[in-house]
Amino acid sequence: MNRGPIPATRLSALAIGLLLILAPTSQSAAVSPEVHPAENTQTDPRTMRFEPVEFTPPEPERVVLENGMVVYLLEDHELPLVTITATIQTGAWLDPPEKIALAGLTGHVMRTGGTDRMAATEVDEELERLAALVTVGLGVESGFAMLDVLKKDLDRGLMIFSDILRTPAFDPARVELAKLQAIEGIRRRHDRPQSIARREFTKLLYGSTHPFARESSVKSVSRITREDLLDFHKRTFHPNGVILGVTGDFDSASMLDKLRKVFGGWAKGTVPAIEIPPVAASVSPDETGEKKIVRFIGKGTTQTYLRMGHLSLKEDDPDYPALSLLNDILGGSSFRSRLFQDLRTKHGLAYSVGSALVAGTRARGAWLAAASTNVNSTQEAISRIVENVERLREQAVTDVELQEAKEAFVNSFVFSFTSPSRIVSRLIGLEYDGLPKDFLQQFRDKVVKLTKEDLLRVARKHLHPERLKILVVGPGQALVPILSAFGAVEEIELPPEG
Amino acid sequence: MTRQRYGLVLLSVVLLLASPGDRAGAKGLAERVIEHKLANGLTVLMVERHQTPVVSINLTFKVGGMNEYTGITGVAHLYEHMAFKGTRALGTKDYERERPLLEELARINETIEELRGSSRNASTTESSEIKELRRAFEETQKKAAVLVVGNEMSLLYQRQGAVGLNASTSKDVTRYTVSLPANRLPLWAAIESDRMANPVLREFFKERAVVLKERRLRTEDSPNGLLYETFAAAAFQAHPYGFPTIGWASDIQRLTPSITREFFQTHYGPSNAVVAIVGDFNPPEVVKLIEGSFGAIPATAPPPPVVTVEPAQRGERRVQVEFDAEPVVLIGYHKPPIGHPDDFVCDVLDSVLSEGITSRLYRRLVLEKRLAASVYTTSGYPGVLAPNLFVVGTTPLAPHTTRELEQAVYEELDRLKTEPVGVEELEKVLNNLDASLVRSLRSNSGLASQLAYFQTVAGDWRYLLEARDRIAAVTPADIQRVASKYLIKSNRTVATLVRNAPGPRASADKPRSVMP
Repeated sequence: MNRGPIPATRLSALAIGLLLILAPTSQSAAVSPEVHPAENTQTDPRTMRFEPVEFTPPEPERVVLENGMVVYLLEDHELPLVTITATIQTGAWLDPPEKIALAGLTGHVMRTGGTDRMAATEVDEELERLAALVTVGLGVESGFAMLDVLKKDLDRGLMIFSDILRTPAFDPARVELAKLQAIEGIRRRHDRPQSIARREFTKLLYGSTHPFARESSVKSVSRITREDLLDFHKRTFHPNGVILGVTGDFDSASMLDKLRKVFGGWAKGTVPAIEIPPVAASVSPDETGEKKIVRFIGKGTTQTYLRMGHLSLKEDDPDYPALSLLNDILGGSSFRSRLFQDLRTKHGLAYSVGSALVAGTRARGAWLAAASTNVNSTQEAISRIVENVERLREQAVTDVELQEAKEAFVNSFVFSFTSPSRIVSRLIGLEYDGLPKDFLQQFRDKVVKLTKEDLLRVARKHLHPERLKILVVGPGQALVPILSAFGAVEEIELPPEG
Repeated sequence: MTRQRYGLVLLSVVLLLASPGDRAGAKGLAERVIEHKLANGLTVLMVERHQTPVVSINLTFKVGGMNEYTGITGVAHLYEHMAFKGTRALGTKDYERERPLLEELARINETIEELRGSSRNASTTESSEIKELRRAFEETQKKAAVLVVGNEMSLLYQRQGAVGLNASTSKDVTRYTVSLPANRLPLWAAIESDRMANPVLREFFKERAVVLKERRLRTEDSPNGLLYETFAAAAFQAHPYGFPTIGWASDIQRLTPSITREFFQTHYGPSNAVVAIVGDFNPPEVVKLIEGSFGAIPATAPPPPVVTVEPAQRGERRVQVEFDAEPVVLIGYHKPPIGHPDDFVCDVLDSVLSEGITSRLYRRLVLEKRLAASVYTTSGYPGVLAPNLFVVGTTPLAPHTTRELEQAVYEELDRLKTEPVGVEELEKVLNNLDASLVRSLRSNSGLASQLAYFQTVAGDWRYLLEARDRIAAVTPADIQRVASKYLIKSNRTVATLVRNAPGPRASADKPRSVMP
């Protein structure tokens, strides 16, 4: 699901995503040693104390239809809207190496290419007339579709939505257009330095053929035909590979009737097993402690855009909560973090700086730090990031840092449950990834118990300054002497077509 | 913090109005907003939502890049950064010891600037006097740094469970947002009333350096950032809408604590601010809380109005930006500000032209002619308070050129002048508007943002409801009239992103061919 190891641009958002853990119905005494009732007589923000907020999130209903489709339902009658999501066991991991982009194009044209009973333009016009939103998108490890519709239009919206999932028509003109747009996207890949850094760094970590890193090309897109899309849909979309999430203004019993009517006749099929290959050892010579290599990509920018990091753990690793909190202290929590304080606040070296731990679900995840800085402060920025990582391995974090990180985590916990759709989508994500329903609750309980020693231990075990892969995008000529301080400098040349 | 381009999100905000048959959104909202005004002029808007014990707060000031002039551009945004540095009470170990050091830093800086100013033409190397001053500056800065409690304000918020802690500066408004567990509102009131009254500009020079880096990230190294900056500067010759909100680099470099303090004192009074609070709370208690904290802040004089008026454009303007990136074209037409009758018509035009796959420009440029990979429009760039631009932005699908795209866009715009828009098209616009309002009520922070925004720029949050009715009343004839009046060649500015030099797309030193 979205927790998959996709080192994206939104560093802090990713890091925060890792911390959205389950409901605190009771608060640990270890975290709030002094709890006093909140009174308006408190005026000094430094000494204010508040009761933990009491909140028991509503529990969705889970139903399995006869054809194996799983349905989560949670009613919410505040507004006259209904949202239905579908999480589908399909994705770009299935792309044949010579046809990368197949899954992505299939999802795109499912939405734009019409259905067996409506032409593409008819679908577009009706959805937009009803102000109904339908999206379909296939990621690496899962597919996702959504209908968001006014209650009064539910029946029409649901019919179109189910047709899109079951019997998309892949109008040839829309297939052709989607391919052209995909190729234009490829041509524009090198326009923004941040995006170059993100994509090339992922290749460094996973190797350029791994499903997490591999990219489409003009050739791979050009090879894909309408028949390929039809076939991909037919092979990989089956009701027993779909989990629906239904939230909003409806009655559960009648909603189930409606769902049975539109999806009940969809016969079971063979759902593709999710197979994410382990990361090949050969792509990670840096991890075996061989000669240190620093890589750069030449681009005529005024700043350098740097990324450094290495492969990391999976979600089921017992060290995940500790490493997550440690990363929060290092660079995952914006203002509070050491990297922000050191590079931005104290030294004015960077506007954007932070680190992220993206735990893997089916293959190893990644830990990385990123910053953008002036060319002539690039060396200092890299050195400071490395020093901060080393310091975490040498000295335990302070009591105050640990306390602050735990409190921030526990006190913001309630925001994981601010809407029925968030509650339902979280449970669906856990089920899809084969994680226990109370994964987040467990995670929280572990975080609360963490000690400084735990964090020191995981720092030594999971953060490896000597194995850091370093990638910098910036003005090439100027970078070579700067980067040679960290190892042998190698240029990555980007393919001219994107 | 982030600097949002309100121009680009505004239309989606304007298009967030009432609901159709049942009109649940509008009705619900009209009944649910509670207003309170403090004696010092601070406006408070509240909506209760008790589903989850959380609350979102949006504090919006009617100040932004529009209130600047050449020489101090960027000061609104720099102040927004400085607002996170604390107060006399927060962010410091001992303000009384810190204050003389901060004053000393400001003094040394001004002396250096004076000396550099007087010797600028004489010599390229710095005099020994300046070098000595720089040493003193560094020394003082180190002493001051010891007294700082870094990011304390943000830390207090985060420790109490805050999410979405952020701020943004646009041409029209500056906004401070946060969401908290519901019972933490007293923390918000204490921190925000303190920084409205007693901000301290500590770590000023370091933050100024950070902002210069932000400018590089967002503008100089960003093809779209640089294109928009150049576009606005060409379209506005007199009005401050032509300055970049983040500021010109040379202006940022010369901003001082005293310029920044004066800007704060002029624009950050309570009567220039609106607070919107949405979530799980008891309004009378919150009123008491706000009266008890913000109520003590003295009222201030209203800020001076922006006097400059952009003269009518008398001929097409064309500009180019060369960049190591694929082409983009922006086309902008001057149009009236928020509240003007023609502005509502522009909202409808915006929707008819580019909202959804069935919109006119998408259908013609992307689906039928396959000239463009994408196309969008926005009404209200770079702000809405003053006369602004209706913008069409589009990217060509290779090998088509921006010239071909422009022609196709102009043909579609001309069609609006000669053929009346169909009734179904207008119905679709209204349905989507209505649905958007209902959807906007889903999120505490989204609703707080809209209420505070329209209270600030339109003078009344009810603009949200009124605009729906005004938009519903727009006729095909209105559209023809407005298109004929504004969407004309002599009133337009065209900015094009073109690739600089055929060649080094990937490598700085190894030129090679670019196109596949």
